[in-house]
Amino acid sequence: MFISPWLIGFLLLTLWPIAQSFYLSFTEYSLLSESVWTGTANYAKIFAEDATFAKSLSVTFLFVLFSVPLKLLFSLLVAMALNRNMRGMNLYRTAFYFPSLIGGSIAVAALWRSMFGIDGYVNQVLAWFGIPGVGWISNPDTSLATLILLNTWQFGSTMVIFLAGLKQIPQELYESASVDGAGAVRKFFRITLPMLSPVMFFNLVLGVIGSFQTFTSAFIITKGGPVNSTYMYALFLYEKAFKHYQMGYASALAWILLAIVALLTAINFAASRYWVFYESEGGKPG
Amino acid sequence: MKTRKAYRAAVALLGSALLLAACGGKSGGDADGSPSGTAEGSKGTGGGTTLGIMWWGPDARHEATKKALEIYTKQHPGVKFKPEFMAWDAYWQKLPTLAASKSIPDVLQMDAAYIQEYVSRGQLEDLSGVDLSGIVDPNVVENSKIGGKLYGIPLSQNAQGIAFNKEELAQYGIPLPKQNWTYDEFFQWARDAKSKLPEGKYPIGDSTTWDGFNFYQTSMGGPPVMTDGGKTFHLDKDLFVKFYKTYEEFRKAKIVPPAEQSAAFLENDPKADPMASGAVMTRGATTGSVSALEQLMPGKVGVVNMPIGPAGGGWAQSTIFLSVSAGSKHKDEAKAFVKWFVSDKEAGAALGLTRGIPINPEIYQALEPTLEQKDKLGKDLYDLAVGKALPFYSAAAGYSEWVDTYKKELDAVTFGQQSIEDAYAKIDKLGKDLAAKAGAK
Repeated sequence: MFISPWLIGFLLLTLWPIAQSFYLSFTEYSLLSESVWTGTANYAKIFAEDATFAKSLSVTFLFVLFSVPLKLLFSLLVAMALNRNMRGMNLYRTAFYFPSLIGGSIAVAALWRSMFGIDGYVNQVLAWFGIPGVGWISNPDTSLATLILLNTWQFGSTMVIFLAGLKQIPQELYESASVDGAGAVRKFFRITLPMLSPVMFFNLVLGVIGSFQTFTSAFIITKGGPVNSTYMYALFLYEKAFKHYQMGYASALAWILLAIVALLTAINFAASRYWVFYESEGGKPG
Repeated sequence: MKTRKAYRAAVALLGSALLLAACGGKSGGDADGSPSGTAEGSKGTGGGTTLGIMWWGPDARHEATKKALEIYTKQHPGVKFKPEFMAWDAYWQKLPTLAASKSIPDVLQMDAAYIQEYVSRGQLEDLSGVDLSGIVDPNVVENSKIGGKLYGIPLSQNAQGIAFNKEELAQYGIPLPKQNWTYDEFFQWARDAKSKLPEGKYPIGDSTTWDGFNFYQTSMGGPPVMTDGGKTFHLDKDLFVKFYKTYEEFRKAKIVPPAEQSAAFLENDPKADPMASGAVMTRGATTGSVSALEQLMPGKVGVVNMPIGPAGGGWAQSTIFLSVSAGSKHKDEAKAFVKWFVSDKEAGAALGLTRGIPINPEIYQALEPTLEQKDKLGKDLYDLAVGKALPFYSAAAGYSEWVDTYKKELDAVTFGQQSIEDAYAKIDKLGKDLAAKAGAK
């Protein structure tokens, strides 16, 4: 009863369009004319013929494979650096979080484009050291790496969650470990990482889902190019729908993406029992 | 513990579904939209009529058009407007959704590249009944017709040509391009110019888009790549290979910039424009767009028509139109307005050259004394191009993906990832598939 406003909104604005898109994925629909039922033709074409599908999927997998671990590592390092009691710490935390406030925006993507352009700042700085620059985003060999770098740089929210997790770790554990003669490295691997594993797991799941849907950077900075080297799945889907008006085909692509992400999330959950450590469950992993 | 895990998994799956709803939802939206939006707006107030009108363009065009609409309302107090205006990309993303929900505004700006698609879907009103005698040249009207009927009032003269950096070419002792140069002369000019240019400067840009080759194929007397509304597809293999082998030779000889530099060019961007950045001496330009280039490099831009072949070369005609929605409830008012738009002197003065050279000679003559150099360049380009011009060939309805594929396959050639013959095979196959599909309808 009291959730009915939310429920109606959910049914009309979320569930209904999802159901619609499921129906459309079995049709050919160009927006301008009526949709025509084609059965599983879209799916058959995607899997059997569409080379761009395979290409965009492999680009996206590469992106996820590199950007998720890099981002986790980097944001954990920053979180640990910021997890100290020092004068002005809040200022530093704000400063490090700041890029994330503007993180996914178009302005940042545009900034990235001019930084890594062929006459961009990165190449100018390299030139001071006598290193010849490359066209970071206009060369198919380096364009994807540049986008991965951008994604890693937007570490703020992951870092904040890590920071909160670090604050939850009881200080006594470190103190008693010190008494037992454990060094900093040992403390990190024996205390920090296990205690942080639920937070790590959370960030990993969100990171994988988020990276799979990366769109803005590919759309603004590289437009998927050069030669499809950054043609992310979400961009592929978007262009099918809103550039080429193949709504049915795009809906099928969206459902395939959903299946892939759901499968990966399920795998993540299944794997988590081997490495995620919940204190509340009596110290046994999982 | 088991249930808890199951619950967690369920939450995560639901979460991912919600995150993805953005993608799924967009595709499904507007499918069953009822007529609303502008139709609602056109009920009007106080017994008058409110016309919905939509156009794309830069700010100067927005301001000028709004002023013209005010003039119309002053002259015709019964008619008010509900204007919507945006940039090119946004416009062509928005219009299909409006078409799907049957809420296209009464009056809308149309482009030669898209008008066939909208006509073939029955979205546009036949305007053959609007009397344009004395306003628009009868030949232009005839050329603008689709299937014998007029679906858009041509607004301006436009032409394709080549802009060149006259200052630097003179500085390095390179002869300026001449009107009606042939493709052979154009290629030879590029080879000769390279020997006089310093490192890092290139006489011409690379060519990877379908229209560049379509110019070549048609100027050599061949048919356009797409004819008959996309039902016939013809990509001449010998010409294709010959054309792109020339560019391959040019890439090796550094007559065109390296692929990674070409990929970074962005026209009309002060730093990334191929010409304004100082890297390339020439680039394609149209009457409507050359003024933007002139503003980036004042006093340095010269123009010449496209290279020609036995059949001619380039195009010179109207590419922007005003159309009336077939679903409009105020067709008569809309038709009266579109005629006024190209014939009223006051409107002409307000609009200036914001849509190119006005199609109505009288209005252009009134404007001529006030023109600046950047506007005159456009007119010069039109005058140079009109003699040998071929028709304007746009991509047929349903070919937008083929257009993208063409560029991507050719980009792969420029980066050395595949051969010209492989690119041809893929582009040709997709084109023939599309033609077969269009023919089956």
